[in-house]
Amino acid sequence: MIRLTIDDQQISVPEGTLVADAAAKLGIEIPVYCYHQALGPLGACRICLVQVEKMPKLVTACTTAVQEGMVVHTRGALVDKGRQGVLEFLLINHPLDCPVCDKGGECFLQDYAFSYGASAGRYDEPKIHKLKDAPINEFIILDQERCVLCQRCVRFMGEYVGEEQLMLEGRGVQTVVATVDHQPVVSPFAGNVIDLCPVGALLSRPYRYKARPWNLERVESVCPHCPVGCTTLATGRDGHVVRVEGRPEADRHWGWLCDRGRFGYDFAYLPDRLLAATVEGEERSAAEAQRTVGGWIAQAVASHGPESVAILVGGQHTVQEANQIARFAREVIGTERVAMVRSTRGYLPSALNGTFEDIERADTVVYLGGDPYESVPVVHLKLRDRYRQFPDLKVIGIGSWVLTRSTLPGQDVVVEPGQEVAVLAAALKIAAGEQEAVKVLTANLGDWRPSLTGVDPAAVEDRLRELGQSLLGSEHLVLLWDGKDAEMESVLHAIKTVREERSAVLPMFGPANWRGFEQAGIDPHFDRLDSVLDDCIAGRVTTLLVFGGDLLREYPDRRRAEEALAAVERVVQEGCFAPEGQEHYHAIVPGAGWGEVVGSYVNLEGRPQTAGAPATPPGQARPVRTYLLAWAHALKKNLVFEDEGRLPGMAAAARAAVAPVTRPGDLARGDDELVMVGNTEVMEGGLPSEYLASRVAEYPGRVSPQDALRLEIGQQGGRLVVEGSDDTIMVNAAPDPRVPGGRMVLPYGIQESPLNRIGEGATVKVYRREEVGAR
Amino acid sequence: MLQGVKAIAKGLGTTFKALTEPRDTIAYPEKRREYAPRFRGKHMLARDEDGHELCVGCGLCEAVCPAQAIRVVAAEAPVEKPVSWTNRYSVDYEVDLIRCIFCGMCEEACPTNAVRLTPFNELAAFERTDMVADKEELLSPPVRK
Repeated sequence: MIRLTIDDQQISVPEGTLVADAAAKLGIEIPVYCYHQALGPLGACRICLVQVEKMPKLVTACTTAVQEGMVVHTRGALVDKGRQGVLEFLLINHPLDCPVCDKGGECFLQDYAFSYGASAGRYDEPKIHKLKDAPINEFIILDQERCVLCQRCVRFMGEYVGEEQLMLEGRGVQTVVATVDHQPVVSPFAGNVIDLCPVGALLSRPYRYKARPWNLERVESVCPHCPVGCTTLATGRDGHVVRVEGRPEADRHWGWLCDRGRFGYDFAYLPDRLLAATVEGEERSAAEAQRTVGGWIAQAVASHGPESVAILVGGQHTVQEANQIARFAREVIGTERVAMVRSTRGYLPSALNGTFEDIERADTVVYLGGDPYESVPVVHLKLRDRYRQFPDLKVIGIGSWVLTRSTLPGQDVVVEPGQEVAVLAAALKIAAGEQEAVKVLTANLGDWRPSLTGVDPAAVEDRLRELGQSLLGSEHLVLLWDGKDAEMESVLHAIKTVREERSAVLPMFGPANWRGFEQAGIDPHFDRLDSVLDDCIAGRVTTLLVFGGDLLREYPDRRRAEEALAAVERVVQEGCFAPEGQEHYHAIVPGAGWGEVVGSYVNLEGRPQTAGAPATPPGQARPVRTYLLAWAHALKKNLVFEDEGRLPGMAAAARAAVAPVTRPGDLARGDDELVMVGNTEVMEGGLPSEYLASRVAEYPGRVSPQDALRLEIGQQGGRLVVEGSDDTIMVNAAPDPRVPGGRMVLPYGIQESPLNRIGEGATVKVYRREEVGAR
Repeated sequence: MLQGVKAIAKGLGTTFKALTEPRDTIAYPEKRREYAPRFRGKHMLARDEDGHELCVGCGLCEAVCPAQAIRVVAAEAPVEKPVSWTNRYSVDYEVDLIRCIFCGMCEEACPTNAVRLTPFNELAAFERTDMVADKEELLSPPVRK
């Protein structure tokens, strides 16, 4: 520890701390533009000048490390003169745009000019004019005149994200921030430069001219789009959400968001948002539909018993809402047929669940099945953060296609579709076959030999041994699981049992708040959903209430879901949007969504976080509790929702910790056939967004370049007909060198190309669209 | 008796004297008073010589208004169809003239000199809602009838 004095206050800080950080610890404000703790020192803007005794000149607080006995003065005539001079230079060519600038009122240039600047400029020369309103991409506008060249944006993209898409161009006074090759920035993390920009140079296009800092309400919120649950600030004006910003939390995260979370808030105001109810295909007021549905439920309970009512929960509901639904099911109706709408089959017990602190300490990270960049983007940034501090970070991707990417280099074990579990079990068997847990795990595998894509059959065993040793020998293992294969749970249990050091699993699957639903008393197991659908098909359920979620869109087997809905007498959907296959639903009632109700979300760490409500529900949309209370009334039951403090944790169904995994069948695939592989992508599926429409891939399907060549879809991609065993869908697909031959990767939940019509792992015939016409 | 007559005569004397004196009141509305040039009456939104609105919808008047009588909603104008002199303009600009205390702070805060208080002070309506001046109304400055 090093002791120093800042403005007559003593402080001890670790060696290597910068003066700016030490001052911040004491609560002394030192102005900074270029310095950001996540990015490290640069010393470009010079605004943080401080006086250090025995140093001949002023020094920059953000680049000077503390030294024993240092005496620092952060104010004083000398310092003020220095800062005033710096600001005068910064303002030479800065336009007087404040009235039309979106940053006006929350701008550090304004604030510091007010605190440290001169009252008037001395320059009469004309200002240099540069580009205004230059698009960085479809979400970000750059005003080069307002830029102070702090390079935060350039360094964030280049050094932090590792995607060099912004740069400084020109020299001297003509230096400007520009995109590389003047191409739009495509990184999903680009939106963060809006938060990073200390002045009004980088601005959000959707927020443009929407409000000023003093006439809006900024509430602490949580992003509802993926299980990461990034902390955000949601800005509301006149009952509308107009902006979402990242909210840094000390020692936890920097407040980075992906563009999905930053710009995907406009769903509430889209034209297809439910504003009124539909009963039997006719539009009704929400109040009327509420009465009608209440009558239905009462009738069903009276004539078929409480167990004839089943309840499904999904979507963006908060923990409190889920708990209200669970209590309504148990206390009012008295049914145990309650399940969660899921699109993947996996379940992760809390005991295995890790936290983001595990990422901060990890030395080995394993992607199981999916790429976090696509499904939980901010986790990728957290991994990048770790990689920057610990360049030896070992990244291993185990999936049906190459999961690692250049920004986070690693090794890949590319397996045959659906064999991740078996390959992992085989690797464990080779590396630690003598362990009891591994013996149980691999009991059914027998002499099964996996084949790995791009690995010579003779080298497979070595490759698996290496993998097994990485899994078992690493000091701090983090596994990111996509939740596709339910048997993975056994493998994860086995890894934890065999390993002596800490291993942590982070689930990448949805719904975003599934852990919260679990805590609220909704069984998250996929079997549960399956058994409810079984009951529906068998006619044991006459009334099905679906809260949030979209069963036909999300359930992996659409045919079965349709069958279940068709077998039920009355299906009622509550949500923000009309579900797919509306003909199956007898009533659709509008619900309030994210930003419209206060509640908690539990993220993939199992951490509850509260989201405020800056907006009011549009139209007749009302919160779930309104419906539940009305329906309880219709059943002549008393239901009281007090302010729930601690939510009851639900005991998940007990299972054998390690169960043997299934031996994969033989691969039977014709040369011209492809295997469908599903993928969770945060930009696809989920809540619709008009702002993000340009970001939703035009060609979401991905095939190998060789298959693309055979299918003649070219570099750009093309429209393919995918013919499964009993259904055919259209897929816009493009070649991707990360995908090996013989498979097609398709995100879940695309309305035009629903993977659940074909089924994951199905072998399909694929043609180019034109060929079909010719056939 | 004599004293009574004297008193009446004195009183009438004052009356007749006042009849010939200049009048303190004016015959409103036939005649109207001239106000000081800086009199603060109803607001207006000014335009520049090219006919573009001066208001850019910055909202400073809204922020400074002590009576919270002003509401501004800004938007971006298409390049080919500018409304104000820059691409930002106010879509909505409302002044609640019942709330307004005519302090003139909006005028003072306005960075583009768009909001001005005119000498017009004949503010009366049958409905409260009619007392909320919208942007269209403010853009055509009131003149005395």
